[in-house]
Amino acid sequence: MKRVVLIAAVLAMSFFAAELPAQQPAGLKLPPFKKVRLKNGLTVLLMEKHTVPLVGFQVLVKAGSVADPAGKDGTAWLTASLLRKGTKTRTADQFSSELDFIGGQFGAGASSDSSGVFAEFVKKDLEKGLDLLADALLNPTFPQDEFNKLLKQRVDSLKSEKDRAQAVMGAYFNAYLYGSHPYGRPVEGDEKSLADLKRDDVQKFYQSSYSPGNTILAVAGDFSTTEMEKLIAQKFDSWPSRTAPAVPLLEPAPVTGKRLLLIDKPDSTQTFYRIGNMGIARTNPDRVYLEVVNTLFGGRFTSMINTELRIKTGLTYGAGSSFDQRKARGPFFISTYTKNATTGEALDKTLEVLKQLHEKGVTEEQLKSAKNYIEGQFPPTTETARQLAGLIAELEFHGLDRREIDDLFSKIDGMTLADAQRVIKQYYPMDNLVFVVIGKASEIGGVVKKYAPQMDTRAITDPGFGSGGAGVTAAK
Amino acid sequence: MRSKNRMYSLVVFAALMVAFAGAQTFDVKTQTLKNGMKVLVQEDHTIPNVAMYTFYRIGSRNERPGTTGLSHFFEHMMFNGAKKYGPGEFDRTMEAAGGANNAYTSKDVTVYQDWFPRSAMDLIFDLEADRIENLSFEPKVIASERGVVASERRTSVDSNNFGILNEQLWATAFSAHPYQWPVVGWMVDIENWTMDDLKHHFEAGYSPSNATMVVVGDVSADEIFRLAEKKLGPIPSHAPPAKITTAEPEQMGERRVTVKKFAQLPIVMMAYHVPETASPDYYALSLLQTILFSGQSSRLYQRVVDKDQLAINIGGGSQFAFDPTLFTITAQPKAGVDPQAVEKAVYEELERIKNDPVSDQELEKARNIVLAGFYRQTSTISGRANTLGAYEVFFGDYHKLFTAVESYNKVTKADLQRVARKYLGDKNRTVATLVPEKQAPEKPEPPKQ
Repeated sequence: MKRVVLIAAVLAMSFFAAELPAQQPAGLKLPPFKKVRLKNGLTVLLMEKHTVPLVGFQVLVKAGSVADPAGKDGTAWLTASLLRKGTKTRTADQFSSELDFIGGQFGAGASSDSSGVFAEFVKKDLEKGLDLLADALLNPTFPQDEFNKLLKQRVDSLKSEKDRAQAVMGAYFNAYLYGSHPYGRPVEGDEKSLADLKRDDVQKFYQSSYSPGNTILAVAGDFSTTEMEKLIAQKFDSWPSRTAPAVPLLEPAPVTGKRLLLIDKPDSTQTFYRIGNMGIARTNPDRVYLEVVNTLFGGRFTSMINTELRIKTGLTYGAGSSFDQRKARGPFFISTYTKNATTGEALDKTLEVLKQLHEKGVTEEQLKSAKNYIEGQFPPTTETARQLAGLIAELEFHGLDRREIDDLFSKIDGMTLADAQRVIKQYYPMDNLVFVVIGKASEIGGVVKKYAPQMDTRAITDPGFGSGGAGVTAAK
Repeated sequence: MRSKNRMYSLVVFAALMVAFAGAQTFDVKTQTLKNGMKVLVQEDHTIPNVAMYTFYRIGSRNERPGTTGLSHFFEHMMFNGAKKYGPGEFDRTMEAAGGANNAYTSKDVTVYQDWFPRSAMDLIFDLEADRIENLSFEPKVIASERGVVASERRTSVDSNNFGILNEQLWATAFSAHPYQWPVVGWMVDIENWTMDDLKHHFEAGYSPSNATMVVVGDVSADEIFRLAEKKLGPIPSHAPPAKITTAEPEQMGERRVTVKKFAQLPIVMMAYHVPETASPDYYALSLLQTILFSGQSSRLYQRVVDKDQLAINIGGGSQFAFDPTLFTITAQPKAGVDPQAVEKAVYEELERIKNDPVSDQELEKARNIVLAGFYRQTSTISGRANTLGAYEVFFGDYHKLFTAVESYNKVTKADLQRVARKYLGDKNRTVATLVPEKQAPEKPEPPKQ
């Protein structure tokens, strides 16, 4: 689990953490890539990488669950999921058969900020693959029966997820932290919103959000740029440009004071929790320094949090912390779990480590270790076509460019202890904290209520995740 | 599969280490050290990094009642201090030099993984040699690590209905062979191993001659062989773990097991005994697995999830195994659907495979999927190290990776029918069902000791 947390942090943060250890011959730069804009406004990024006969595509549409209509959480996700479920010329079955026949991969979904498709094909089947990808993006018909089928599946998947605390922790935490701010919405919907969703909502979302000017298409892998440019123009030139309405996104305000949500899961032998507040936006100028500090605090096996809760005490299998970076301020959280009987001990230790970070900061030796670690672990994150397509699309989405990777060597190496102490004070919450706890209320309720003046409770079987609730009222 | 610090939460759905047919070959150099440890090296200078995987041929199949989970616990202990690098120093030193590590334990093997910049190479060999030669057994550290592993079990089994049910499935399908107990071990065993059990396990499983090391990345084979011989070569070998002679007797009728607990959705798992990975039927079974489960056009997704809409998902297959193992099918029925309706649809689809040959197109699709999967699996230094090692250990020769395409191409439509008929029958089947209860019952008092 610790590694899972770490990977989440790396995905969120280390796109910019490209580094080469000082001992290495310099020159680990992002491979060259070309950016073109089609006449209809589609942004295309092309990066050749000839190590394996695979080609990876990442499509990002600049509308995620933040753009869901009020009360219709899950619209963006459902729209993306239905792209392959019927087009003007292919039924859902035909699409799947053709995709599987060439051993292709196609995954679609949404996040708070964007909708997206990832696809990967073997080089020899590239034209077929690109045809499938373009067809899904340009010509979806959203057949009613496929809509019904997917919606029903999603309703039952929610039940399945609520049977496992770790699968729903993020949705509860975001809802409680962000309240009515759109970042509090469950991206894949909840019991209430799914009951209200209609095929018409999906069609409207597609019409208003999926347009070439609102979309980035990144491709990386084993191809020739000249030929790929031609192919993409052939497939995507016919996509009519439309004006997508801008989706306003207010900067969320951090929660002040302490508040705690306890979700009763009566079969729990273990307490799962997240503690945090709002973190940083993707383009925050301190993001690199924060990645270095968070590596030390909760981003690797020997981090302060994991050392205290796992290595020294055996209270848990894994503990970590993460800054989830988005267009606006994403969540920061510490997460772990421990058996029911040690819930209080683990919570105390977690808060103690956070306090230590504020009071003692980090040492020169720790700083050096974190720098080496990030630099040493970065290269394998840009190894595959899939990773590279995802990386350049993500940079473009946030208005960043290759300097994010190429210049970071100097950025990380130039970081001082003073920089570290400053970002700790500035970004790690201390007195203002949101706690979300999933566990057996009858055993742990009395223990956890001590951590905040306000405790809210829910049953895991209650519909929804509680978005639109507590979080906003106290936000300043 | 259990891991030092990574949870395989969907382990029952992921067919781990699925074999991939290679159209590409890599230039692999090998050397066997004086003490019998075999080292495989594949040079790749694309990134300045190295993946090092060390496979020990010891897993939960080498355990016995009372010490179940010991291999996995031992895997954790390998990070907790030796002679030169004391408690905590293995991880601290490696991370400070830019490296990271993990490990996993299965029913058959324990695999240690290091990922590091090439600048850390000497250090990594120093760390590995220290723990293989001089692991320490500190009672305080062992006590703390017991808590970690108990937490891992609570998370991956108690808090995961798939984990609970999967454990019961294997415990029911096997009555004699050690595949019957979980890799993580029964909780009561985790609480009760002794220091002697641990030491004995180390002596049995951790002879260099019982290990295969695979190094892929920005290295030269010569320097790896030189370093390995210098740092690891002097460590003496001893007898390997005792041979597992117990074979599971033929199953002679369906077995069923039920788990009732607080849950919103049921789960159903069906399992059939199939031969070990090195068996000639492996390739046919692997293609059959692809036809049944891979992609939304696969037989079982089409029938159970898409057409009949009985379940929200379905998946399955086999993992690499030294001994005859299970081919499993796992589905999560939708709310209100009787799990037996899912079973019925699955059995009908299996009959269809037995009675009517798959189409040429379907066979070609399965081969294409396997081939694309191979490219993905070997597109990173880490994936290549794991795949080369797995082929070397489970097929007895990493070259099998390069001839896999040929082996898959030899599989005929009749072979698919034959293996379906031979293995996927009701007498050879075990079914486990999780039945949701509305309330969690109060825990009964623990039995008095």
